[in-house]
Amino acid sequence: MSLLKLNEATIRFGGLIAVNKVSFELKKGDLFGLIGPNGAGKTTCFNLITGVYKPTDGQILFDGKDITGTPSNKIANLGISRTFQNIRLFKALSVLENVIVGGFLRNNTGLLSSLAYLPGAINETEEMKQEALRLLDVLNLRQVANVRSADLSYGMQRRLEIARAMATKPKLLLLDEPAAGMNPQEKEELNVMVKKIRDEHGMTVLLIEHDMRFVMSLCENIVVLDHGEEIAQGPPAAIRNDPKVIAAYLGEAV
Amino acid sequence: MFWPKRIGSGIAAIAVCFLIDSITHHSFGSYEQRIIALVGIYVTLAVSLNLINGITGQFSIGHAAFYQVGAYLAGFISRRYITDAGHTPPPVLWLIGMILVAAAGASIAGFIVGLPSLRLKGDYLAIVTLGFGEIIRILVQNTDALGGSYALDKIPKIQEIWLIWLLAFICIAVCRNLLKTARGLTFLAVREDEIASSAMGVNVTRVKVTAFVLGSAFAGAAGALLAHYEGLITPATFTMDVSFIILTMVVLGGTGSITGSVVSAIFLSYLPEYLRTLKGGDGQPLVVSGTAVVAALIVTVLAVAAIKTVLNRHLFTPQKRGLIYVGIIIGAAMLEPLFSLLLHPVPMLANMQVAAAQLRMVIFAVTLIVLMLLRPQGVFAHHEFSWDWVKKILGKGPVPSTEVSA
Ligand SMILES: Nc1ncnc2c1ncn2[C@@H]1O[C@H](COP(=O)(O)OP(=O)(O)OP(=O)(O)O)[C@@H](O)[C@H]1O
Ligand SMILES: [Mg+2]
Repeated sequence: MSLLKLNEATIRFGGLIAVNKVSFELKKGDLFGLIGPNGAGKTTCFNLITGVYKPTDGQILFDGKDITGTPSNKIANLGISRTFQNIRLFKALSVLENVIVGGFLRNNTGLLSSLAYLPGAINETEEMKQEALRLLDVLNLRQVANVRSADLSYGMQRRLEIARAMATKPKLLLLDEPAAGMNPQEKEELNVMVKKIRDEHGMTVLLIEHDMRFVMSLCENIVVLDHGEEIAQGPPAAIRNDPKVIAAYLGEAV
Repeated sequence: MFWPKRIGSGIAAIAVCFLIDSITHHSFGSYEQRIIALVGIYVTLAVSLNLINGITGQFSIGHAAFYQVGAYLAGFISRRYITDAGHTPPPVLWLIGMILVAAAGASIAGFIVGLPSLRLKGDYLAIVTLGFGEIIRILVQNTDALGGSYALDKIPKIQEIWLIWLLAFICIAVCRNLLKTARGLTFLAVREDEIASSAMGVNVTRVKVTAFVLGSAFAGAAGALLAHYEGLITPATFTMDVSFIILTMVVLGGTGSITGSVVSAIFLSYLPEYLRTLKGGDGQPLVVSGTAVVAALIVTVLAVAAIKTVLNRHLFTPQKRGLIYVGIIIGAAMLEPLFSLLLHPVPMLANMQVAAAQLRMVIFAVTLIVLMLLRPQGVFAHHEFSWDWVKKILGKGPVPSTEVSA
């Protein structure tokens, strides 16, 4: 059954059509790649899916529901979470606190309980903290739990973005260039982690990445965008030899 | 185990407030008593603005408006019901009731002002909140039933210093509690990054409006206390100046730090009263030369700017740094005669005299400029008072950077 379905999703910024009639479909448990040259419209696709922008045309369906134009926070509650290409951590907060914010959407206690510091809010905060710590273990960030997130290395910030997104317990996780700025060893570890996220945490993953080796070795299915248009779709082997894709990348080794 | 502890600390807080009250009444005259009352009110104002500005990051600079709504609402009802109609409710209970009414009224105002914060950011929001403050003040000024531009007078005086300080404690406790729970982190998250917050499922709209409603409720409650302490309120008590002073308290203390807001509220609301008590050699209130003030202003600003550029380039030892500061102060002192000399041909300027009590705004301005250049994060930055912190200063134990730590 399809988990996410873009149906001719389109968005215009003035005269520019950043995403033009893009359609693709993810099944539950997919590990899907979204690639394309700079400015192809990949991040904009994520922004459409997560409700940052409302599509000018077309629909986006998630879990059988039309989520076109639904506000971001509601979409997160429905089960889509994401990371940001231009890292958007809560800089002044610690690593642990960033992840707690991600898990907060499952809160059950009210504002008053928090303002009066009642057992409900105290216990819930403690539970969220424990849950966040477990996620930090998964992403290898436990030892920096109390460090201000702005003080982390670049690679760690990227991993924290993933931890925070996972804290919402999404059905679908969108990763925007998770390997950008990482060294080869970090990339290797990330590769393993993403597989684990899909296999052990049962999340469907859609990821944008420029590093072709990374995408080709990780993803089972790939969509290629160029100038907002979808130019190819298929397994890595087919994408690698697709003449349109090769042309879009101007003969770069794909 | 929870409730006995909680009730215990509640009783302890009330006891402390009564202690402040009785010490104030036994040891001080009415002038000092009023200062202690006003300081308490300013603590509430600063801490509640800090919730909106510092914690949630919504740049609101019209806090006096909510203060005014509360003051006039409570003052008006009390005057009608007690002074005009001659009812005699038990004063303390009545005052508590009025605090609640004022809080409710001001929070409605806060809700209305909070709405534009959903669309506006930074400077734009600041202008809206400032404008709102002026609108409220001018509305009151033109409403005869509220005393117009003269005053709303004959408000029954119910002067309960313990209640003033209890409100301050409650305001502090509420903000601290919020920050100790996961929900509080979502307020900080909204301040840090709205897009990321909503991507994590945080209802940014709700958070912002909550901050405005809560913050203005406390300001309104403080207004009710002011109205009944003074017995008379005028629109002049709630001008833009007051909003700026409250904002200064928040910024000086370190935006987001409750401790910082409390400390600087106490310091800055006491300062003008202190300046007023200064006496010159003749026993009259101290008067300083205008040229000295101008000289000091110019020198401080230039000096700080210079230090900033130089110190950033060279790594001075603390001792050398200290010497530089001393040098600048001496330089500033020497500049005064120079200024007098330069201004000598213009007698009006040369002979300008400024009452020390009027220096308040000058000191505020200089403090802010110096702070923004040398320590833009505020004196306390994001730190909060905690016993771990005391231990650390005494040389043991780690410092948790924020409330929720592993
Ligand atoms: N808010 C916006 N307003 C106007 N134009 C926009 C906006 N957001 C994106 N664009 C434009 O849409 C196009 C696609 O941008 P997008 O960020 O989606 O590219 P991308 O595929 O993610 O590229 P990169 O690999 O560089 O991240 C670009 O030309 C960009 O300038
Ligand atoms: Mg992008």
